[in-house]
Amino acid sequence: MAVANPPAETTEASSAKKPGGGFGWAALFFMGPAGLLLLVFLVFPAFYTLALSFNRGRGGEFSNWVGFDNYVRLFTNDPNFLRLGFPPAGALWNNVLWIVFYTSLCVLLGLVIAVMATRVRYEALIKAIVFLPMAIAATAVAIIWRFVYFPSSETGLLNALLGIFNLGPVAFLGSPDTVNWALIAVGVWGSVGFATVILSAAIKGISSEVLEAARVDGANETQIFWRIIVPMVSLPISVVAVTLIVNVIKLFDLIYVMTAGGPGTSSRVIAFSMYQEAFPAGQFGYGAAIAIIMLLMLIPVMIFNVRRFRTEAVQM
Amino acid sequence: MVLLLVLAACGNGDGGDNGDGGDNGDTADVECPEAPADAGDGIVVTSLWGGAEQEAFEAVLDAFTEETGIEATYEPNRTDYATVLRTRIQGGNPPDVAIIPGIGFLRSFARDGSIVPLDCYDVNADEIADQYVPGMMEAGNVDGTQYAIMAKVNSKATIWYDPSRFSDLGVEPADTWDGLVSLTDDIAGQGASPWSLAAADGWTLTDWFEATYLKMHGVDAYKTLFSADGDWTDGTAQESIEKMYGELLTADNVDGGTDGALATAFVDGIAKVFSTSPSAEMYCCGGFVGGIAASGDVNPDLTYGTDIDWFPFPTIEDGAGELTDISYGGDIIAGLTNREEVAEFMQFMTTVEAGTAWAEGGTIISPLSGVEVSVYPESVQKEAEQIYGASNTVYDGGDLLPAGPDLGALLQSAFRGDDVGPLLEEFQSQISTAWDTE
Repeated sequence: MAVANPPAETTEASSAKKPGGGFGWAALFFMGPAGLLLLVFLVFPAFYTLALSFNRGRGGEFSNWVGFDNYVRLFTNDPNFLRLGFPPAGALWNNVLWIVFYTSLCVLLGLVIAVMATRVRYEALIKAIVFLPMAIAATAVAIIWRFVYFPSSETGLLNALLGIFNLGPVAFLGSPDTVNWALIAVGVWGSVGFATVILSAAIKGISSEVLEAARVDGANETQIFWRIIVPMVSLPISVVAVTLIVNVIKLFDLIYVMTAGGPGTSSRVIAFSMYQEAFPAGQFGYGAAIAIIMLLMLIPVMIFNVRRFRTEAVQM
Repeated sequence: MVLLLVLAACGNGDGGDNGDGGDNGDTADVECPEAPADAGDGIVVTSLWGGAEQEAFEAVLDAFTEETGIEATYEPNRTDYATVLRTRIQGGNPPDVAIIPGIGFLRSFARDGSIVPLDCYDVNADEIADQYVPGMMEAGNVDGTQYAIMAKVNSKATIWYDPSRFSDLGVEPADTWDGLVSLTDDIAGQGASPWSLAAADGWTLTDWFEATYLKMHGVDAYKTLFSADGDWTDGTAQESIEKMYGELLTADNVDGGTDGALATAFVDGIAKVFSTSPSAEMYCCGGFVGGIAASGDVNPDLTYGTDIDWFPFPTIEDGAGELTDISYGGDIIAGLTNREEVAEFMQFMTTVEAGTAWAEGGTIISPLSGVEVSVYPESVQKEAEQIYGASNTVYDGGDLLPAGPDLGALLQSAFRGDDVGPLLEEFQSQISTAWDTE
């Protein structure tokens, strides 16, 4: 629903104030159209969604007010959304798994591939291969991997491989124990190229004198990686990580096409639950409450992002 | 304000149509929406069928056009049916008639005010009830108002098997639960897998549960369980789950064991019994299984009666359900615009003529018991007989429950070996919230 990038507004407002000091007509004239669009397409829907989340919202319209009922139900009485216990389950928990594993694996693999690639002659080829999945639409990625995971060795590539070792077939997407990991693996496959390309560019920016100096001082390659390369590209790493986290909180397409949240409800994520409750089930108030929770999860990430932009600006 | 307008429109506008004759008591509290101003002459009917199902239904539309001269167009909507329908309604562009799978959706549309009550179409539920198989009018009744009527049904009380393999094994269909248990043991004793279970699709398990529960506890208990008054913790549900998993669908009796069954989807489950390399002997529930088994997806060479047949889900000793109490699934038809053409269509759909035109296509069973069994293709005549001979029918419980809590997932967990009691307690708490907030 109404989830987009708040920082756009903030940065615009602060940069508009700087030059003249006064808040002149000219500023208003230039900001007006953008501000109006934001108001209509972002601010209003966000508040509408907020209001709807305190309502039953049957059929997408305000019906009866229910206070915090939707939120209470989400956190205490809806195992599809959150089931505490061991191991925890539900859409919110799945999203936490996604944030932790998808983001860290993408960054780690991206970094490793970027560093390795700079040392070989066919660097461009490697980067092209790793980046290729980024050029495929998420829906197509999902369909490709549905075939890879297909639970028979005739159709499923992975099960055919297992078959060579007389293992399987395993229903990767059919079991609640494996489905989230199988999906995260697809997500990583699809996004690692993004991390690789950005981090590779950053690594190229490290001056060779620094690296040479370290080698002269006797640092080995592992030390160089952890003590020099990683700290020097920490800003690009955080850019990549934040972008991935924002993407993954909003994750929907992969889940929708590959499992539709199944088997049962075991691979749902927040955005999928929001869709499921609001549209097919028609509980718009409940769906709106999920949207608000999603927004609340995104806000800290956005604040972090905005702060970083500011410090960057100061440094420059 | 809107409500007042609607009431006013109903009171003055087309009073002539709306039951002035006689049964005012029933119709007085029914609000009929205004007719849309710029509607054309024809009507648009939407559902989620394609292929053979679509062709069979288009024959009904042709019969309607021939009879009334009103052009009727079918719009298939294969995916995200409820979402698309809801969006069209909200956008002020609803189809005239929707054939809806699942009563949960119907209730939510009815309470939104998106569906026109049948009274507004001059279709009186009480008057036509005896044309339908007993129990089948109930599905379209929401909060005491009749909003829709069953359009097509399928029995969910069928156990499919291969007669030629049964005779090779020297076994015969059973007509009691205990008989079915010993039949299962017999087959297992000969080294074959008695049951194919498509446990990856939770709804196939809910069909199993519903059939077992109905035969154990009877029609009234079934209806209560799947209503807002249902108590999942009163022991009856647990008893039925433990009976079906404990006596029939044990890990040893199910092809592939627990894990194998949980990885088997619906059509694959059918293929385990009816493909050219079968690995199990029986598959329960759903009259539509035969059609899928004989399709290109599984094995087009099957001959009905020789390679594929079914026997009714048996009665349970000391159980409250009769052999002729059956659970069924199906789609329900509802009007969304209050137009004269739609009224004519809804009236037409309650006639045996419409039922017959549809039945000839062979993909469905008409809920109109006046349709001759002989008009059906041979492969579904037995299913038609079972349905028309039913003393009572109950709608698929899984499709009666409100959205959210997942009975199929509960049954998957129970099949995996989780404790049934706590599962049901948790389910009860979710389902009562879901009913309250629906």
